Amino acid sequence: MERYDLVVVGAGPSGLSAAIEAAKCGLTVVVFDENSRPGGQLFKQIHKFFGSKEHNAKIRGFRIGENLLKEASACGVKVILNATVIGLFRQREVTVRIGNEIVHVKGDAILIATGASENMVPFPGWTLPGVIGAGAAQTMMNLHHIKPGKRILMLGTGNVGLVVSYQLLQAGCELAALVDAAPRVGGYGVHAAKVARCSVPFYLSHTIVRAEGEEFVTGVVIAEVDHSFKPIPGTEKHFEVDTICLAVGLSPMSQLCKMAGCEMTQAPTGYAPVCDKTGQTSLPGVYVAGDVSGIEEASSAMIEGRIAGAAVAERLGFLGAAERDERLKQYEAALSSLRKGMFAPENRGKAPKKTEEGLPISMNLLQKGYMDEAELEAYPGMIHMPGLHPVIECTQNIPCNPCQDACPRGCIKIGADLTALPSVDVSKSCSGCGMCVASCSGQAIFLVNEDVGEGFAEVTMPYEFLPLPRPGERGMALDRSGTPVCPCEVVSLRSAPAFDQTNLLTIRVPAQMAGRARQYRVGGAV
Amino acid sequence: MTNTADVIIVGGGIIGNATAYYLAKKGVSVIVLEGSDYIGNGGSSRNGGGVRQSGRDKRELPIAIWGIQTIWPWLSEELGVDCEYYQKGNLRLGKTEQHLKTLQALTDNAKSCGLDVSMITGDTAREICPYLTHEVIGASWCPTDGHANPMVTTLAFYRRARQLGVRFFTGARVTEVKKLGGRAREVVTCEGDRFEGATIILAAGYGSRAIANTVGIDVPMSQQIDEALVTEAQPPMFWQMLGTAAADFYGHQTQHGSFVFGGASGIEDFLEETEGIPPTNSLTSSAVCRGIMGYFPALREAKIVRTWSGWLDICADKVPVISPVCEVPGLILACGFSGHGFGIGPAVGKLLSQLAVGDQPEVDLHALRYDRFKANK
Amino acid sequence: MSKLYSRNEDIGEFVPAPDDDLIICRCEEITKGEIRRAVHDGMRTITEVRRFLRAGMGLCQGQTCGRLVQGIISRELNMQPANLTPAPSRAPMRPIEMYVLGDEKEGGVPND
Repeated sequence: MERYDLVVVGAGPSGLSAAIEAAKCGLTVVVFDENSRPGGQLFKQIHKFFGSKEHNAKIRGFRIGENLLKEASACGVKVILNATVIGLFRQREVTVRIGNEIVHVKGDAILIATGASENMVPFPGWTLPGVIGAGAAQTMMNLHHIKPGKRILMLGTGNVGLVVSYQLLQAGCELAALVDAAPRVGGYGVHAAKVARCSVPFYLSHTIVRAEGEEFVTGVVIAEVDHSFKPIPGTEKHFEVDTICLAVGLSPMSQLCKMAGCEMTQAPTGYAPVCDKTGQTSLPGVYVAGDVSGIEEASSAMIEGRIAGAAVAERLGFLGAAERDERLKQYEAALSSLRKGMFAPENRGKAPKKTEEGLPISMNLLQKGYMDEAELEAYPGMIHMPGLHPVIECTQNIPCNPCQDACPRGCIKIGADLTALPSVDVSKSCSGCGMCVASCSGQAIFLVNEDVGEGFAEVTMPYEFLPLPRPGERGMALDRSGTPVCPCEVVSLRSAPAFDQTNLLTIRVPAQMAGRARQYRVGGAV
Repeated sequence: MTNTADVIIVGGGIIGNATAYYLAKKGVSVIVLEGSDYIGNGGSSRNGGGVRQSGRDKRELPIAIWGIQTIWPWLSEELGVDCEYYQKGNLRLGKTEQHLKTLQALTDNAKSCGLDVSMITGDTAREICPYLTHEVIGASWCPTDGHANPMVTTLAFYRRARQLGVRFFTGARVTEVKKLGGRAREVVTCEGDRFEGATIILAAGYGSRAIANTVGIDVPMSQQIDEALVTEAQPPMFWQMLGTAAADFYGHQTQHGSFVFGGASGIEDFLEETEGIPPTNSLTSSAVCRGIMGYFPALREAKIVRTWSGWLDICADKVPVISPVCEVPGLILACGFSGHGFGIGPAVGKLLSQLAVGDQPEVDLHALRYDRFKANK
Repeated sequence: MSKLYSRNEDIGEFVPAPDDDLIICRCEEITKGEIRRAVHDGMRTITEVRRFLRAGMGLCQGQTCGRLVQGIISRELNMQPANLTPAPSRAPMRPIEMYVLGDEKEGGVPND
């Protein structure tokens, strides 16, 4: 039987990272993936990633995928696509469907990196065509370039729900509402804010009562829920939509682990195999990394893959124990820096009232998706000064710091703690280069000049919609809730390779709107 | 919790549940102890669902015939759950002259016991089941055989027995039978829980052996793994139970449309024993697929959604022990069903209920005594 | 490790609910009411409900409904979902045609 040092199941972020790490140590590695394209979910991720430089922060997911593939190929990893692993048997034998044949392969080590699948929630009508997973919507849009629907309601305000909502808007879909049974937005506030300022209403403490339609979805009814998540009669709201997207969490796709006989556990991050810190399961030589071992972000999955790859290399005698320990130390540090802050795995389900800096968390942000101007004033990124300066509307402790490195003049400071809130150093002067605006994965940085004369102000915002506005064009400025506040004129639209498709749109608004205008809408009519 | 009942049944499979049901109907108090966390977790939910008479040993055939004539046709109604019983016959298929010889011998044996089994031609077999390949040149045919849903049947007995007041415990792995005052009276679980009854019935598959050993009784049994595959639902095609002279596979189409086919790759006797869920191996399902397609080319596109396996308790002479143990009064054995226990399960349950209350069983069980094993020479 | 568990604890009568006709297992079209009723019939594990009703035995093998069934049973038994063990997983991980599964290739992985 053909044998490899390492057989990896799944060519997503963790599987590829493990394969690269192992192959660089000299292992023969094969990666099987059932899809026709590698990269797992990475190629659907058109947004910029969070984290720091070592976590590929501010790089769009699909580019990270491209880089991983290049690296894998360069170090001799064999990536076999359209190859479905159908079983993992004793003595680490896998059976793989490749084309219309079954191939038996053994690995001295196996890494299961099968990722996750989307959860569903049942309501009357949930089996109608038009009710789809948010991940499915993302696949349709970003891989197949098909609009999932014309008018969509999104259930779920975790990062998946928020990110996909924004991408639906980018694809030209209308978003009727964002709904969540929880009383608070589950994902990053910055993700919520960029959806909210596109005029999408948030309905927290609401759930879907029923989907309407005979042959397919034609509408949806939501209602407010009580403390036991039961709909409150009389609070029903109706929306005409043709698509309902469900973003109600992910579950580890751990069936292969269970089938193989790995000891399993039911953790808050899903039903997953028990594993040690290197990802080794109860079966010697069988490892897991990424979402299959518990749901997290792709950034952590890549590090988990590196860790498992190094552990396997040491296990099979390709890497000394000291060298492995050195690498693990480095990777674990990178991993733990990502697992800090109010969205850390250990804080799941908790509702912090204050930031690490002791500032109050905005309830508006958590309930409506956006903050009041007044609330923002308390935050260190929010400053007022003459001339051009950045305004950073980043109010939660999330592990991310590209803005700090982005400013060539050192205006922005986060410090060594990745989750600290960014602050603006008023002693430094802003050149207006816009690198900070483009570098912010949360699109939370704006350049503001509160007085450009004649009673006007200019606001520069990140802009990722087509068609791109042209200088001189007139449109409406929207506030953080997406409400039109005043007509405005496009001053400039800047694009640069360094901005990586985040365009810098500068609009001119009446001076009193400098603190409110945060989005631009083409056309004048309200 | 009182741990006492008239009858303690060790083993929550089809035998244990059926026995409990028939005893409860007689007003006897019963406790059923199942070692795993699930009712019907052994061979009872890991078998091909055959309700056959043909192909059986003369010693157990009377039980099969009695069950099919007096219990199966009314079982769904009696239990209030559709057990998916289809009495549409059993075809055992042959492709070579050698196969036909094997089938002829089985047919002769069945006929000598008074069973309606006949040899038919390949064409007649195709009239009964049009999907058969033309390579089939003959078959044995028993029109009164059939199949049922083993998982549902087992749980239907459980459900009804429970409604009648039978007490069930799962996670109750019995490790020992204890004699008190000369009779088997008590069983002890691995956690030290004790249950007491005037009669103790061991119906725990292969596990019965070690338990019986604790009162000095041995049943010569071994364990063998059996594997099966399940297809996605197909349009209704045929309702016969199927087997082959070459024994490459057996099975049937279920009521909801899936085909369930069991079979072997030939290494089953040599697989190591494991804890937990019985493992499948990497070779068997592929071998079974090739076997099936060799008889039913129409099924080649059918998708396999699942494979499973289970341990058979194979008795030295391939028929079960269903017997009171006279050396240990109060103990009754029902084990070693050797891979064909499900079809006779309800009948065995009813007979055990008669044994347990001291009645003469309606079918003579003498040939299935525990002390029948003697050296040949 | 298995723990002694009585199957006769009183969980009350089955009370019909307005959403009992909600389909939970799409593959096998099993409703919430059927699952709840099975619990009252003594099925106290996901595995038993599956064997009794076929919930999770269809094409997707419970990938979609597994968690939902777990939630319904646990609510009926008034216990934490995590205390209910999910059903076993079995090869093949994806539905596979008989002619493919029966076609084992000699040698190893093809070169691209």
